[in-house]
Amino acid sequence: MATPAIEFSGVNKIYQRRLAGVQVAALSNISFAVARGEVCAFLGPNGAGKTTSMNILMGFIYASSGRARVFGYEPGDVRAKQRIGFLPENFAFYRYLNAEKLLQFHLKLSGRQLPDPAALIADLLHKVKLDGYKGLKIGKYSRGMVQRLGIAQALLGDPELLVLDEPTSGLDPAGRKEVRDLILALKAEGKTIFLSSHILSEVEQICDRVIILDRGHMVRTGTMQEMLAEDNRVEIIVDQLPEELELAVKERGAAVLEREPHRVRIAVDVAQKRALTEMLWAGGCDVISLTPMKTSLEETFLKLVAQGQGLGQGQVQGGAQ
Amino acid sequence: MSTSSLAIRSVAIRTIALSTFGSFLRNKVILLFGSLFVCIVLLMMTPLLAYKAMTTADNAQQMQGFILNEVTVVISLVSGFGSLLAAWAAADSVAAEMKSGTILAVMARPLRRWEFLAGKYLGVLMLMAVYVVAMMGVTFLLAWLGGQSFHTPVWTLLVYPLVRYALWAAIAMLLVTLVHPIVAMGAVVILMTLIAVFSSTARHIPVWLQKPVHLVLPITSLLSEDRFMEITRASLKPFPWTNHLTALAYGLDYALVCFLLAVLIFQRRGLTRD
Repeated sequence: MATPAIEFSGVNKIYQRRLAGVQVAALSNISFAVARGEVCAFLGPNGAGKTTSMNILMGFIYASSGRARVFGYEPGDVRAKQRIGFLPENFAFYRYLNAEKLLQFHLKLSGRQLPDPAALIADLLHKVKLDGYKGLKIGKYSRGMVQRLGIAQALLGDPELLVLDEPTSGLDPAGRKEVRDLILALKAEGKTIFLSSHILSEVEQICDRVIILDRGHMVRTGTMQEMLAEDNRVEIIVDQLPEELELAVKERGAAVLEREPHRVRIAVDVAQKRALTEMLWAGGCDVISLTPMKTSLEETFLKLVAQGQGLGQGQVQGGAQ
Repeated sequence: MSTSSLAIRSVAIRTIALSTFGSFLRNKVILLFGSLFVCIVLLMMTPLLAYKAMTTADNAQQMQGFILNEVTVVISLVSGFGSLLAAWAAADSVAAEMKSGTILAVMARPLRRWEFLAGKYLGVLMLMAVYVVAMMGVTFLLAWLGGQSFHTPVWTLLVYPLVRYALWAAIAMLLVTLVHPIVAMGAVVILMTLIAVFSSTARHIPVWLQKPVHLVLPITSLLSEDRFMEITRASLKPFPWTNHLTALAYGLDYALVCFLLAVLIFQRRGLTRD
C-alpha cells in the first residue's frame, strides 16, 4: 500500500500564553489520512483549526503531540517540501517585485532545474490569466490577482501535492470558476489536493473527501458520497394543504417545509411515503411531485457545527482512513 | 550531500541573500539612514573646511588638532551608526518576513530553516559591505580635505568594521529569534551602552567581575580600527599580523556562536504570527 500523501495521527496543538498563564487547545486529537490522487476538503468555521493544521503540515509550527507525516516524511523535511505546492491563507509577497520576478525567485528556491524557466513562468502566468500584467508591480494588484499569482507560485515546482488554504478567497465568480476548473484539471493529472474553503457548494463539486473540524476537534470525515447520502426522507409537493389535514400530516411525523399560495413542501420519512400520499389524495390535495431528499454539504456542515455548539466540543465521528 | 544538491542549496541561500539585499535598497528606513549619513558628512565638512581655510603659519598646529578631532568624531559617529544599522537590518530582515507572512511561501519551498537564516545574514553582510566602502570613502575624503593622510593598509579599514558589523548583526539575529524586534533592538542598544561603560571603566571593575563580563559581552574595542589607525603624518602604530588575525578571529567566532544559537532557536520556533 502506498504511503498516504498526508497522515495525521492523534495530533494536538496547544498554544501557551505564558504571560497570561493560559493554554489554548487549537487542535485536539486530529487523525486522518489523505490518499494520493485524492482531492480532500478541510472544512470548519473560523477558528476551527484548519490553518493551524495546515501550518503543522507545512512544518511552520510544531504539533504539541501526535504524529504528522507528508509522503512519509516529517513536516518541514526538504524531501517532503520538494513535492508540495502551497498557497497560504493570505498570500503575502514582496510588493516591489512583479509577477515574473516573484515566480523567478520562487523557482530558484524550488531547486527545479529547467532548460527554459521563462517558458514555464509564461505558461503559468497564462494559466492564471496574469500574462497581461506580468510587468506590473504586485503591490498594485487587486486581491483576486494576488490570489491567482499565489496559485501560480504553488504550481511552480510541479508538485505532487497541493496544499491550498482558501484558494478562491478574494476571487469573483468567474475567477472562482477558473480556479475550480484548474483544480479539476490538476485532479485529472493525478495530483493530490488538500484544500480548505468556506464555499461549500464548490467543495461539493470538486472534492472526493471531506474532513470537518470544529473548535479544534474533528467532527466528521468521509467521502463526498457519504456526506451527501440520501437522508431517508422524501419531499412531497402538493398544491394546497388544509389546516385539518396539516395536523394529520404532522401526526405521521412529517414536516411542512415551505408554504406558498399554490405550493406546499412536505418532508416525510420514506416509510410513511405511501400512506401520507394516499391521505393527501383522499383529502383533496393534488400531489405535484414526490422526490427523494438529499442533504447538501452545507446542511451537513451546519448541522454538525450546531451539534458541536450544543454539546460543547464536537465528538469525532468516522475517524482516520 | 551530492555536488548537485550542494549547488542547489547554495543557489537557494544566494537567492535569499540577494532578495534581502534588494529589499534593503528599497527600504524606507535604510533610505532615511543613507540620507542622514550624507547630511552628517556634509555638515561635518563645513567646520573642517573652515578650519582649513583659517589655518595660518601661526596657528597651524592648533588647527591641525581641530581637524584631527573633527575627523575622529565623524569616524566614530559613522562607525557607531554602522553597528546600529547592522543590528537593525538583521533584526528587521527576519522579523519583517514573519510579520508580513512572506516567510510562509518562502519556507514552503525545499529550504531548511538554517539556510533561510544564512541567506538573511548574508544579505545583511552585503548591505554592510556597501556601508563599509561608503564609510571608508568618507574617511578618506575627510582626511584628504583636512590635509591628512592614512598610514594604514586599506584592507583593515574594510575588514575590521565588517567583522564588527557581522558580530552585531549576529547578536541582533539571535535576539530577534527570541523576542519582538523592538525589544531586540532595545537589548542591542543596552548591550552597546554596557560595552562602552565597561570599556571606559575597565580599571575600576572588580577582578571577579571582569572575567564573566569579558566572556559574555563582546569586546568590540578589539575590532576597532582606532587600535591601529593613525590619521597624522607623523606615525604608524606598529601592529603585527598575528594581532590582526586573533582580533578578527575573535570577532568572527563570537558572531558564529551567536548565529548558531539563532539557528538553534529559529529551528524550534513557529514561523507564523500566532
